[in-house]
Formats: sequence, C-alpha cells, structure tokens
Amino acid sequence: MSCQTLPTEQTAETSSANVTPGPLRIVAFLCNWCSYAGADKAGSNQLPVPSELSVIRVMCSGRIEPPLILEAFQKGADGVMVLACHPGDCHYKEGNIRAFCRAELLQNLVPQLGIDPKRFRFDYVSAAEAEKFSRITNEFVDKMRSIRL
Amino acid sequence: MSTPIKTAVILCTCSGIISERIDWAEVQTLLAGHPSKPVFLVDELACGVDNLEHLAAWLVQEQPSRVVVAACSPREHETTFRKLLSDAGINPWFMQFVNVREQVAWVTEDPRAATAKAARLLHAALNRVQRHEPLSERSVPVRTEVAVIGSGPAGMQATLTLARAGRQVTLIEKEPVIGGLPVRFEELFPNLECGPCLLEPVMGDLLHGHESANVNLLTLSEVTEVKGSFGNWTITVKQKPRFINPDLCIGCMICAEVCPERRPNRWNGSGEIAAVAVPFAGTLPNLPHIDAETCLRLKGEECSACLAECPVEGSLDFDDQEREYTIEAGAIIIASGAEEKQDLPASFANQEDVHTAYSFERLLAMNGPSGGELLKADGTAPKSLAIVQCAGSLDSSEVSYCSGTCCRAAAKYAHLASGKVAGISVSRLVREQSFPGVDAGRQFHHDHSTVVRYGAFSELTVTGTESGRNIMIDGGTTVRADMIVLCRPIVPSAGTAECLSLLDLDRDEAGFIAPLHSLSGSCATTLKGVYLAGSCRGPGDIRDAFATGTAAAGLALSDLVDGRDLVIDPQVAVVDATICAGCKTCIQLCPYKAISWNDVEKVAEVSDMLCRGCGTCVASCPSGAITGRGFSREMLRAELEGVLS
Ligand code: FES
Repeated sequence: MSCQTLPTEQTAETSSANVTPGPLRIVAFLCNWCSYAGADKAGSNQLPVPSELSVIRVMCSGRIEPPLILEAFQKGADGVMVLACHPGDCHYKEGNIRAFCRAELLQNLVPQLGIDPKRFRFDYVSAAEAEKFSRITNEFVDKMRSIRL
Repeated sequence: MSTPIKTAVILCTCSGIISERIDWAEVQTLLAGHPSKPVFLVDELACGVDNLEHLAAWLVQEQPSRVVVAACSPREHETTFRKLLSDAGINPWFMQFVNVREQVAWVTEDPRAATAKAARLLHAALNRVQRHEPLSERSVPVRTEVAVIGSGPAGMQATLTLARAGRQVTLIEKEPVIGGLPVRFEELFPNLECGPCLLEPVMGDLLHGHESANVNLLTLSEVTEVKGSFGNWTITVKQKPRFINPDLCIGCMICAEVCPERRPNRWNGSGEIAAVAVPFAGTLPNLPHIDAETCLRLKGEECSACLAECPVEGSLDFDDQEREYTIEAGAIIIASGAEEKQDLPASFANQEDVHTAYSFERLLAMNGPSGGELLKADGTAPKSLAIVQCAGSLDSSEVSYCSGTCCRAAAKYAHLASGKVAGISVSRLVREQSFPGVDAGRQFHHDHSTVVRYGAFSELTVTGTESGRNIMIDGGTTVRADMIVLCRPIVPSAGTAECLSLLDLDRDEAGFIAPLHSLSGSCATTLKGVYLAGSCRGPGDIRDAFATGTAAAGLALSDLVDGRDLVIDPQVAVVDATICAGCKTCIQLCPYKAISWNDVEKVAEVSDMLCRGCGTCVASCPSGAITGRGFSREMLRAELEGVLS
C-alpha cells in the first residue's frame, strides 16, 4: 500500500473546486545571500518574473519551517517555492541542506493533506542565476495555472 | 496586534524608474483601508542626501510608530533607511523594506500588474511591521591581545606582524625550540635558499628585536583549555619544566658535552643526544632542556656531571616545576602545522637507509647527524638514491589528496644529493608530478634525475641485499636504491588535532581545520575570533606559511581594534527558557556552535556573540521555543497573510 493515497489528478480537481478563480497566488521564500540576490539580478537584467509571485525574504533557507509552508497552502496559496543557495554555497554553511531535507519531507507530506505535490517546489538559485530565477518562476507559475484550469 | 499603530510609508520613485511601472497614487488608494492607517510620502529619490534630511523631518513631524520603505533592494539600502529611523528618533528595527525596483518595476512589463503587485507586497509589509520588536545593538569591550599557537614560520610571522602593530602576543610552542619544521632544513625549494639565513632574522626579531617586548614566548607549553568567545578568550596553558633557568643560562652547552646519558634524537629522526641538550646546533632560544625520563639525577640517581661543569651557578634547576598560565586574549591564531604521516608500510619498515623526507632533510643539513654528508648507516656514500614521491598520497588506502609539497622537495633532494656524492644515480618514482609556480617550473626543467612512474604505492617492494638493493615496481621494473627517501603524506599535526578538539572546530575531509570559506575565508574559521595560519589549513609550503601568518594577523588586527567595542547585531536567535523542552536539537544543528546547554536551568542558550542569525535553529525547534529576531514566526506569518490576502 502506498502512503500517497491521493492520486495527483484527483488532488488537482479537489483543490480547484475549492478555490474561486482569481489571480494566482504564488509565494516564494528566498534566502538573502544567493536566491534573493539572483532575483535582484533578474531585475537588473530586466528579465520577466511573474507578477503573481510574491517573494518573502529570509536570511537563509534553513529558517523556513515546514508549518509555514503548510500555512501558505491553508491560506490559499496556489503554489509555494523555497529557493536556496546551491549545496556547499549556503552563507551559513548548511542551512540549505536542512531546507532540502524539509523539502523532501514536505513532498511526501502534502499529498496526505490533499495538496498536489507539484504545488511545492524546492530549488537552488545562485546570486548569478538571474536567468534561472526568471525561467523557473515562470515555469512554476505556468504549471500552477494549468493545474488550476 | 489589535491596536492599530500609525505607520509611515515612504514610496520612492527612484527618479521615475519605479513610478514608470508602478502607479503610487493607485497604490495609496488600494492601501487606504489598511488597519495600520498608513500615511504616505512619495519621494523622488529617497536615498539622496537632501531627501533623507527631508524624510527625517517628515518622520519627526508624523511621529509614526512603524515605517515601511518601498524602494530598491534591501541589499542596497536597508542600512541607509535604518539610519534614517535612528536620526528621526525611531527604533531602526521598526522598519520593513519592500523591494519594488529590482523585484517589481524591473521585472513586470504591465504597469497594472506591477501596481497590483506593489500594493500586495506593501500590504504584507504593513502587516509584518506591526509585529516588529524594538531591537538594539549590544556592544561589548574586546581585548586586543592575541594568542598564537605554534611557532613555525606561520606563527612567528603572525606574532611579529601583531607585535609590530603594538599588540601584546602570547606565542605558545610545545617544543623546547621555535622555528617549526623548516628550521630543520638547510636549503629551501624552489631556489635552494639557505633556510637558517631566512629564518634566523625572524627568530631573532621575535626573541630580541624591538617588538620582542610585546611577545610573551612560552616554549615547552601546550594549551589545555579554551573558554570564552570572540574578544574575550581565556586560555589555560601548561608549561613543562625545562630544568634550566633561562635568566642565568648562557647557552655554552658544556652540560650537553659532559652528560653521560643518551636518548634518541627525534628532531633528526636518527642518532642520539644527551639528556641535557639542544635538538641540534643553532636552535633558538639558545637554551638546553633536560629530558626528565633520561636524566639520571631527575630519575633519583646520583649524577652531578653537568652541575660540576656548569660555569654559571643556578643555571641548572633540578627543582623546576610544571607551571600553569591563564592567558586572556581577544583572538586566537592557530598555526599548529602539519606533519609527515608517521607509519611506514611493511615493505619499507625496519630497513637501513630508508628515510622519510624529514629525516632526509636532517641528513642533508650541516648541523644534522652526519654534518651534512650524505652517508649510509655503514658510513659510506650511497651509489644510488631512490626518492619515492606520492608515497601514500593520492591513494585511497592512505590519503586521497596530493600532499602538495613533495614534488618540489624531491627535486631539491635529487639536486642536493648529486652535489654531495659524485656520480650518484638518482631516480624519482612518481605517480603524478606537479610543479606549480614560475620558480618551481625552473626547478622542474633543471632536474636530471630519472623519473619512473608507478601505479600504486602498495605495488612497490624492496628487493636484493644491502649491497645491491632495488625497488621493484609491481614485480617488473627495478630501480637501484642504496638509499631510499619516502615522501610520506602530509597530515594534520598532533597539535592541530588537539586544537580541533579543544575549540571544537570543524575539520575538513582530510582532518585539517576547516576554513570559514575555502576560497574567500581560508584564514578564518566558523568560530569568530579564531584564525588560521600555515599548514593546519592543509599541506602548504613556507611561502604559504608566511603569507597566511600575515593574513591571520591582519584579520585579528581588523577585528580587534583598541577602543572599538564589538557591536553585536541584534538579529540573532533567542531561546524562551519557559518553553524550551531541553531536547538539544538546536545544539546539534547550529553551524557556529552558538548554542550551549545550561545544565542548571536545563535549557538551551544562544550566545549572541556567536550567533549569525541564519534561523536554522528557529525553524528546527520542535517546541517553537526559539525566536529569530528580525525574522520571527509572527513576522513571517503576518507577511505571508499579507501576500495571500
Ligand atoms: S544562505 Fe542561502 S541557503 Fe543558506
């Protein structure tokens, strides 16, 4: 028996049924030193970032506790991202490793709560990866849009 | 927070760059109903000097309890606006910054979407700022004295650099002499510079130069305990008795000549010295020491050989005791070095004329066991010399890394051996070769030894008799080897291992002390106020030792300035002792060892001096007992609610 009792398709339907269509609400938690700097650089390079994305800055991705992510979903977020420094690059040495482990946990946990695991994304964005920031945020928002349809 | 708090909102147009996309008038309309009753001021260029003065006046007039600034990235101007709040008499942490330039105006093409997003982020900031707590920087006086552990080139250079800047330095050395490893070397690669000529002036300055008044040298000493933190370390040092009174002894060494007892000379890696002796001629400080385990008199037997001959009464002090010192210092520089891996593989052990690099250096030195002549144990010159490089390095069964210094040392040995024994055939057995640097390249091109490649150190066997000894590679090629030098791996010294455990520092995969950052912070550690010099950081040469000695001293000088207190960022983690369940999860997780266990209260405690505010412990506490100041759970939740509303 699999613990992932809720097939993703069904999850998607359930969630869309409950949400009144309005603008997508996407939250992204960014660590200050790499990912937030990468997002700033996307700005300096005038690369497109979805207007539906709301960035919450923390000093390190290790600061984000899983309940905060769940709360975001409870409060109606269509998608939540956690972006961290690449492994080995965390300004505080290993906060991103904690964040990675918690992300693994969340990927397994959210289907139990009826949330499509695709709605949560953990990734690494360095201070130089303006292009990656722009690309993955657009990809994520597009995917959330298609999930909601 | 139920009572609405008056919030001032500064909306910057960034000379029109922001307002090109964001309609500030529309944003004000959208936020007008916010419970915090925001008052707005649109400014052309809020960071401008005149504008800041104007804004300060406005804040003084409005008397808000909280401030939100919507402008560029907080990475650029957060500090500027914190100062603005201070100038206006408002606690600087009562501010929330919203990045509407880099993260809204510049990345959102459609002005309507940009305006809506700016309003949403401002809404979240208004929510969050209500939860801000007043914080203040704490300042603590710091000591400017420095303790340096290890007196090799790196430690000496760090000590002298600090002493020249007027700092009081305690230099702690476990050996009876200073100078570290290279003081045993006669000539230094790559340019065959005279080692003693390079090091003696440095040692002389340390012992007798102008700055020596600022140096407290403790030889025969080891650190036994370190307490405290950056700016205020308390270091306990135990000093073994020398049994020589340094104030009286004139260093004539008559005692060593008349002493009847002998012990192995571990500094030479071969030969013997008297119970009262110096390791070899010319060591500094110019004082002998007595080995308590060899000296007859100290073992309780009758002997007055040295006492009878010593020209200065009182110089020999058989009642000398172990001493304990307490050193107070603001910073610690570790320069405890590296050493050769001690063990020899079975195929090379217990054979005559097998040297390691260090014992071979002594054999080459004028003040070494054979007076600088290259001689075998039987007193004759070798006809062939085989230098085995990578002897255990680049080898997963011993150390997987390259020891970095052996190639240049081996080429030096080849050159010096050819100069000492006419017609000697020299082979270098290598797995890989590396001669980085301009001058080492020259050394490489002038090397005339026969280079033989081998695959694995375990494939090498020694065959034949003493008269015709060979090294055989994997049962095939043989290399003549009357005398053998093994360049064993360079590993952390015993002193480095002790420093690692005394200070509970992180180690790298090879067991050396891990730096704060491998590229940009290689002379600092994750423990604030502890710096690294020389090869406790990994294998290095003398050039590296001098350079990093200067670097570590520079870090200590810039971090500890006389009269400048240590200002502690208030954005740290704090444990609520009433909630802490004592699970100790946070203690394991903190990358800076900033959390300790209070055994009386049975709770975890965060040192604000060591905490760097990452928040890892905040997110990990199962009881939610830890607050990340500036990024508290309430603040993040309020912000989250704001962006989702
Ligand atoms: S600072 Fe970026 S993940 Fe830790």
